[in-house]
Amino acid sequence: MSTTSTKTEKVARAAGVRAATGSAGPGRGRKQGSKRGSMGVQNFAGWLFSTPFLVLFTVFMAFPIVATLLMSFTDFGLRNVTHPLEANFIGFENYTKLFSDEKFLKALFNTAYFVVIGVPLTILLGLVVAVLLNNGIDRARTFFRVGFYAPVVTSIVAVAVVWRFVLDPSDGLIAGLFSEVGLTAPDFLGDEKLAMPSLIAMAVWRNLGTVMVLFIAGLQAIPTEVREAAKLDGAGMWQEFRAITVPLLRPTLLYATVITTIGYLNVFEEPFVMTQGGPSDSTLTVSLDMYREGFNFFHMGYASAMAYVLFVVIMGITVLQLRLLKDNTK
Amino acid sequence: MHRAARTASVATALATAFAVTACGSSAGGEVAADKKQTLTVWAMGAEGEKLVDVAKEYEKANPNITVKVTPVGWDVAHQKLVAAAAAGKMPDVAQMGGSYMGEFAELGVLEPVDTKTFDEKDFFPAGWQQGEVEGEAYGVPWYVDTRVLYYRTDLAKKAGITKAPADWKGLRAMASALQDKADSKWGIYMQPRGLDTVQSFYPFLYSAGGEIVDKDGTPVIDSPAAVKAFKEYGDYVKQGLSMKSSQPGYDPLKDFNTGDVPMFFSGPWISTLIKDQYPDLKGKWAVAPVPADKTSTSMAGGSSLVVSKDSSHKAAAKEFIKYLTDAKGQTDWFERTSDLPANTEAWKTGELADSPSLQVFKKQMETAKSSPTLANWTEVTSKVDAAVESVTQGKASPEDAAKKAKSEIESLVK
Repeated sequence: MSTTSTKTEKVARAAGVRAATGSAGPGRGRKQGSKRGSMGVQNFAGWLFSTPFLVLFTVFMAFPIVATLLMSFTDFGLRNVTHPLEANFIGFENYTKLFSDEKFLKALFNTAYFVVIGVPLTILLGLVVAVLLNNGIDRARTFFRVGFYAPVVTSIVAVAVVWRFVLDPSDGLIAGLFSEVGLTAPDFLGDEKLAMPSLIAMAVWRNLGTVMVLFIAGLQAIPTEVREAAKLDGAGMWQEFRAITVPLLRPTLLYATVITTIGYLNVFEEPFVMTQGGPSDSTLTVSLDMYREGFNFFHMGYASAMAYVLFVVIMGITVLQLRLLKDNTK
Repeated sequence: MHRAARTASVATALATAFAVTACGSSAGGEVAADKKQTLTVWAMGAEGEKLVDVAKEYEKANPNITVKVTPVGWDVAHQKLVAAAAAGKMPDVAQMGGSYMGEFAELGVLEPVDTKTFDEKDFFPAGWQQGEVEGEAYGVPWYVDTRVLYYRTDLAKKAGITKAPADWKGLRAMASALQDKADSKWGIYMQPRGLDTVQSFYPFLYSAGGEIVDKDGTPVIDSPAAVKAFKEYGDYVKQGLSMKSSQPGYDPLKDFNTGDVPMFFSGPWISTLIKDQYPDLKGKWAVAPVPADKTSTSMAGGSSLVVSKDSSHKAAAKEFIKYLTDAKGQTDWFERTSDLPANTEAWKTGELADSPSLQVFKKQMETAKSSPTLANWTEVTSKVDAAVESVTQGKASPEDAAKKAKSEIESLVK
C-alpha cells in the first residue's frame, strides 16, 4: 500500500514540475534592447499605451490612497468637506483613539470571527462541490455548476430578500420546518449569538461559487495521465484525492484562501443589508463601522485611520498565508 | 468578494472633494428674475417625479424660465448632496429633509431665506423650525409630516373598544385587549431596536415632556420625563405587547392587514399606501392623535426647499419657491402627492378642511416638535437608538440607559 502512494506522489510531483517549467517557458526566449536606435520609439510607444492605465491608476487609486493616509492624521470632519485645507494635523491621535474605542474593538473581533469560521467553511465546501461536480453526475453537471455559481452573480439585495425569507422567525422557511415538528424557530437575525453565524452561512453560500469555479479550473488542469497512472497503481478515490488532487491543487488552494480571506476581512454587504450591525453591535464589522463613521457621522479622519488599520491587518494576514501555504515540498 | 478596493472608498469621495473645491468658486453675477434662464432643481423620490409636472405648468406661466428638475433617489440623496456641496455644484434649488439642514448649514452652502418674502406665521411652527439653524432660516417649509396612531377599528370593536385611546394607560389597555380578545399576535408595533428607533420613540419622549437636548443645547435625555418615556416604551416589549426584534426595514403594513399588528405609529404617507395596497381594509381602520401623557406631542418631519449660496439664479429661485409654498401651490401639491401642506392657509378649504383623518394630522402638527438642527444630529440620535435598544432588550434599566446616552451625547454637543 505505502509503495503505491509514494509512487503516485512522485508522478504527481513530476507533473507539477513539468507544468511549472512549461508556464515559465515563453517569457524566457525574449532578449531585451537588441537595437539601440529603436529604444526611444519603443519607450514612447510603451508610455503611450500605458498612459490610460497610469492616468486612471493615479486618479482613482494612488491619489485616494495617499489622501486617505494624510487624512488619517487629521481631524477631517463635516466642515472640511467644503474646506479641506482647514483640517488640523493631529498626529497619531486617531490611531490611539481607535484602540481604546470599544466599538471598534468589537468590530475587529466580529470581523475576525467572520474570517475564522467563514474562510475554512467556504474553501472546504467549495472544494467538495468542485470535486463532486468534476467527477460523477455527468448529465446534470452544467446545471449544478450554474446552480452553485448563481449566487455569485446575483445582486445582494435579491439575496437579502431570499435569506430574510429563509430566516424570518414568524413565517420563514426554517420557521415553517420547525413548526412542522412542533418547535419554535429561533430568531436568527435578532439573537445576538445567532446573528453572526447566520450571516456567515449566507456569505459562504454566496461565495461558494467563486471558489468552486477556481477549484474546477484547477482540477481540470491536472493531467489525466497522472490520474491514470495512479489508478494503474491501484489508488482508490480517497488516495487519489489525497495524493494527486490536493498537492496539485495547492496553488489554487492558496489563491482561493487568500482572496476569500481578503474578501471576508472586508465584509460589509451582509451585515449592511441584513442587520445594520445589530443586534447590539453583534454583527458590526470593521468595514461597516468605517462606513458609519465616515459617511453617517463624517469623522473622515477617524474613518481613514480605520481604513489603514484594516489595510495593515489584511496585508499582514496575506503575507502570513503566502508564507504558510506556499508549496514547500520543492 | 470583489471588494479589495473598499479600503480606499472613503478616500475616493474626498479625493473628488479635494480636487474640485479649488475650482468650484461662486459663479459671479446674478441674473434677474425676469431674464431668460434655466433653474436647476433637485427633489427626492416620488416628490422629484411629481415636481416635473408642476415645473411644466410653472414654465407655461413664466415663459422666460426653464425649470430642470432632477429626481434623486432617497437612498442616494444624502451622498449626492454632500458630493455636490463639496464640489461647489449644488443645484439652484434643492429639497432638504429636516435632518440634513444642520449639516448643510455647517457646510456653508445654503442661502438664508428672505424673510420679507416668506413669513414664518404662514407655516406650522415645527415646519418652519426644521429650516432654522441657530436662529437663521435656511429652508422654506414645503410639506410636513407627523406621526399619529393607526389602529384597526374592526378589531378594536371585537375587543370591546369603541374609542381611540386618549392617554398612555388607555393605549396599554387597548394593546392588551386587542391581543387577548381580538386574537392579534401583538398589541402594537413599536420599533424595538436598530437604526432610527428614535423616530418611534419621539412620540413617547415628547408626550412625557422630555427632550434629547434642550434649547440651550444641553443634553437632557436623562430627565425624569425622558426616563419615564424609556420605561413606558420598554414595558411594551417586556410584557410581550410589542415584538422584541424586527428586521431592518420592517414594514408593519402587511401585518396590519392580517391583524397581527393592529396598531402602530406612522406618518401620513401610510394612509395612501393602505388605500393603494389594501383596499379591502376600507372602513376598518382609523387614525388617532398620539396618546397623551403630560401632553399629546408627536414628532414633526417633512421637507424644506433651500437655495444654494453659489446660485446665480437666486431671484428666480425665490419666485419658484414662492409658487410652490403659497396656499394655492400647496393645495395643488397635496392633490398630486397627498403630502401635507406646510402652509396653514392651504388647510382652510376642500378635503384638507373636511376630512376627519386629515384633521387629526393637522391638530397633531400644530403641537408637534421638530428635532434640533445640529450638524451631527445623526450621531446624537444614534446614541438614543442604542439607549432604547438596551431598554427593550432588557440589558439596562431605563435610568442607566438614559445616563449612558446623556454622557455620550454630552461629548458630542459640548
